[in-house]
Amino acid sequence: MRVTRGMMRRRFFILMLSLVTAIGALVGRLAYIQAIQSPWLQQKAYDLWRRDIPLEGKRGDILDRNGKVLTYTATAPTVIAVPRQVKDKDAAARKLASILGMPEQKVRDLLGRRQLLVYLAPGDRRITEQQADQIRALAIPGVYISEKGKRVYPFGTLAAQVLGITGADNQGITGIEKEYDSVLQGRRGSITLFAQANGERMPDTGEQYVPPTDGQDVQLTIDVGIQQFVEREMEQAVAEYQPDRATAIVEDPKTGEILAMANYPSFDPNHWQDFPPNTYNQNLAIWQTFEPGSTFKVVTLSAALQEGKVNLNDRFYDPGYYEVAGHRIRCWKAGGHGSESFLNVVENSCNPGFIALGERLGKETLFSYIRRFGFGSKTGIDLPGEGNGILFKLNQVGPLELATTAFGQGVSVTPIQQVMAVGAVANGGLLMQPHVVKAILDHDSGEVVKTIGPTVVRRVISEQTASQVRQALESVVANGSGTNAYVEGYRVAGKTGTAQVAKNGHYEAGHYIVSFIGMAPADDPRLVAYIAIDNPHPKDRPVFGGQIAAPIVGRILADSLAYLGVPKSDDGLAKKPKWNDTPMVEVPNFVGMTMDQARRAALTSGAQLRTEVHGSGNYVIWQSPQAGQKVPDGSTIRLYLGDVKPSG
Amino acid sequence: MQRTWTKLDWVMVAVTLALLGIGLVMVHSASSVISAQKFHDAYFYAKRQLLWAGLGLCFMFLLSNHDYHQLRRFAPHIAIASFVFLAVVLIPGIGQIRGGSRAWLGIGTFGIQPSEFAKLGLIIFLAHHLADARDRMQSLWRGFLPPLLLAFTAVGLIMLEPDLGQSVVIMGTTVILLFAAGARVAHLAGLVGVGLIGFAGLVAAAPYRVNRILAFLDPWQDPLGNGYQVIQSLYALGSGGLVGLGLGNSHQKFLYLPEPQTDFVFAILGEELGFIGCAAVLALFAVLVWRGFRTAMFAPDDFGALLAAGITGMIAVQVLINVGVVTGSIPATGITLPFISFGGSSLTLMLTGVGILLNISRQTAYRVA
Repeated sequence: MRVTRGMMRRRFFILMLSLVTAIGALVGRLAYIQAIQSPWLQQKAYDLWRRDIPLEGKRGDILDRNGKVLTYTATAPTVIAVPRQVKDKDAAARKLASILGMPEQKVRDLLGRRQLLVYLAPGDRRITEQQADQIRALAIPGVYISEKGKRVYPFGTLAAQVLGITGADNQGITGIEKEYDSVLQGRRGSITLFAQANGERMPDTGEQYVPPTDGQDVQLTIDVGIQQFVEREMEQAVAEYQPDRATAIVEDPKTGEILAMANYPSFDPNHWQDFPPNTYNQNLAIWQTFEPGSTFKVVTLSAALQEGKVNLNDRFYDPGYYEVAGHRIRCWKAGGHGSESFLNVVENSCNPGFIALGERLGKETLFSYIRRFGFGSKTGIDLPGEGNGILFKLNQVGPLELATTAFGQGVSVTPIQQVMAVGAVANGGLLMQPHVVKAILDHDSGEVVKTIGPTVVRRVISEQTASQVRQALESVVANGSGTNAYVEGYRVAGKTGTAQVAKNGHYEAGHYIVSFIGMAPADDPRLVAYIAIDNPHPKDRPVFGGQIAAPIVGRILADSLAYLGVPKSDDGLAKKPKWNDTPMVEVPNFVGMTMDQARRAALTSGAQLRTEVHGSGNYVIWQSPQAGQKVPDGSTIRLYLGDVKPSG
Repeated sequence: MQRTWTKLDWVMVAVTLALLGIGLVMVHSASSVISAQKFHDAYFYAKRQLLWAGLGLCFMFLLSNHDYHQLRRFAPHIAIASFVFLAVVLIPGIGQIRGGSRAWLGIGTFGIQPSEFAKLGLIIFLAHHLADARDRMQSLWRGFLPPLLLAFTAVGLIMLEPDLGQSVVIMGTTVILLFAAGARVAHLAGLVGVGLIGFAGLVAAAPYRVNRILAFLDPWQDPLGNGYQVIQSLYALGSGGLVGLGLGNSHQKFLYLPEPQTDFVFAILGEELGFIGCAAVLALFAVLVWRGFRTAMFAPDDFGALLAAGITGMIAVQVLINVGVVTGSIPATGITLPFISFGGSSLTLMLTGVGILLNISRQTAYRVA
């Protein structure tokens, strides 16, 4: 077939139409890119062109409940250079080196680096305000002044795990620093520039200055005074018993506020890099889980009283063991406690008695109380890294498991869970949520931005039951296993615990965690204090919570209550004298006397008090312990002398 | 036979001059940063482009006044010369390598691309050959394959440089010419089929090629490698938006977009002049395509008609490929945007081609009238 001229023309027309249509399609494609995709592409392109020089907002402070600064950020100007924007590097290096007092060659090297940003500064990057002003005056293109902060912890190791640590960019890594990072951090500002692909500044483009916003302050519920008592006691205990680990908590039971939280081993957040990671990565008080031992009996007792399964005057016979499903579970006391009341069972921490209570409750009821007291789930404290603890699953609980759980074995709990559970007893039966942050404050004005108030989790037992349990626990301290926690004038109630540590399915020989949890005053508790000491090595006494942990809690409670100005009272149970107890005598007043008068007074007091003299002068100006306190017969009274007779 | 020449196709002249003007301004704007960076002279590329534009306009003027029929007499010589230059440029020491292709003949920074002139040479020869082939055009062996084989030879030589862009343009233009000359659609479809099978073979031999070729579908998969140019190009178009950042205000020309004055000048145009600028330029090209094929339709003879169709087809194919690449619509292929991209050979050749078109159009009137 011959191709006709007409056919060619048709084909020209078809070609023209197709090619013009194809060009039209490209116009459509451009419309899609430049109208619909444009905002997205523009943003991405903008991100590509811009270079942000970060300006740090000042990180907020962390304060104790009374406003003492526990952590602050020390800031100082710092010099930043964008090497690719510094044109005359030699001249810039010469000028900057003389102001900064750095070797010129070093500055030249820094300006020659192929990096977006370099910090120019001697030592730790920071310079004085005068130096900053001089450098600003030079107005060298590509050289900028920014602020650099460094975290300072004036109290060193104090409450280190609560405060936590920050990293090189001032970001919170652990503790409050992490939990409240967004609050403390503030907002970063920046100087935004436009750069060419080779890093040089794009000509005729301005710079955007976004000022940084300072972070807010976080005020803790921690009280430095109480925290210091706790840490002092812990240091002494560590020195005396060389334990592997120790942890202590003091709580205000009415609010759930944590007044002190301390752990051993600890670290100094100022230079945390020098310490082993487990010291700053773990907060034992909320992370560590272990079998609580007898402190857990508070839960069993509360449940039994609430359910009316026991009257504390009921009699119980302890032959030294309790038979459960063919097994004899022995009491800690060889030969048993014999015939005793259930109050004695609590005082003596008698395991068979608590097994009996567990059996009377039954597994459903006991475990429901355990869960209601907060065990087996996180307390929700505002600190990172909290543990759950482990409870038996109800369908795995046989008679044996029920028995051991009743006296605190076979469950795994955290210290904070125990504190909160006993705190519920102290708080008339209401379980609180613990918290360590009291308020968020504006850094500049100090105004309260947000207050964190008490949060009730649930009612666990009735007020009457709580009161009964407290009475029983006061009796434990006055008459029973917790007697070493007794403080004259402050009604301490509490419970000892000595737990064995399971490893690979067996209890490790000789490895105990001794603990004591106490509250005072028993009629209206202001404080709950807890200490656990893991693997103590006492020289001269058996490893029992009552021996090691109880006196520590006693001292913490006594010092803290005095510090808080809680008045002493005589309404409490008197301490039952034991055969080896020395009688207590009252300290007479020596202040205002001369030395001769004081010696005479000491002799005539009827007690055999020794005196120890400090300082020099004619008059006694102060004494320790104070007049009116009861001390064991034969104690030493320290007298401080001065030349001026004190008035009054 | 003495013919009365009518007056010039002023629409085509105006469109060409408009595109040329826009091109000169955009080459200067797009290249100013890279010129200053490389040659310490912001006008380095602009000055050269102006020189080439002058030379190209001279050719355009000469050829528009020169009877195109005389080209036919030299068509075989032109074809032979084209092939000789395509071969010579491949000889190391004579051909210069720029941008990875041994595609240049020249001294110093001035250079000409034989492949550019071979495109026009091949169009002239194919128009000459096909104008006499109306009787056998529908035959596969006598009509369809011989011109195709010739084009394949040229493509084979150019792929040795290698220069994929020019090869694709030559293939595209050849297909247009064959279609215009009345080749069977079945044959053309078969050619496409063979092309697909060949492509499949290449892919089977080296599967990584698929990724490279398909990179344009999602350039963000390899933003610093295969996708880099397309992404930078899209950033330029996207930040231009509807109305553009204003002439001279491109950010992407600050060394982000490679080759901002040549293959990707349209992206900078889109950034500075926006969608409106882009659409206007494409509209000008559409007008040119219309005037070109109109010339073909009313040409006094088959040679003139096919010559006009070939030249117009070449311009259209280059526009479609260049803008297709810049908008990320087709796989990356390096080719200039006619009249606008920097490049002496390309610009001179395009203006020469328009000159020929103008001459053909001047000889149409008496037949239309």
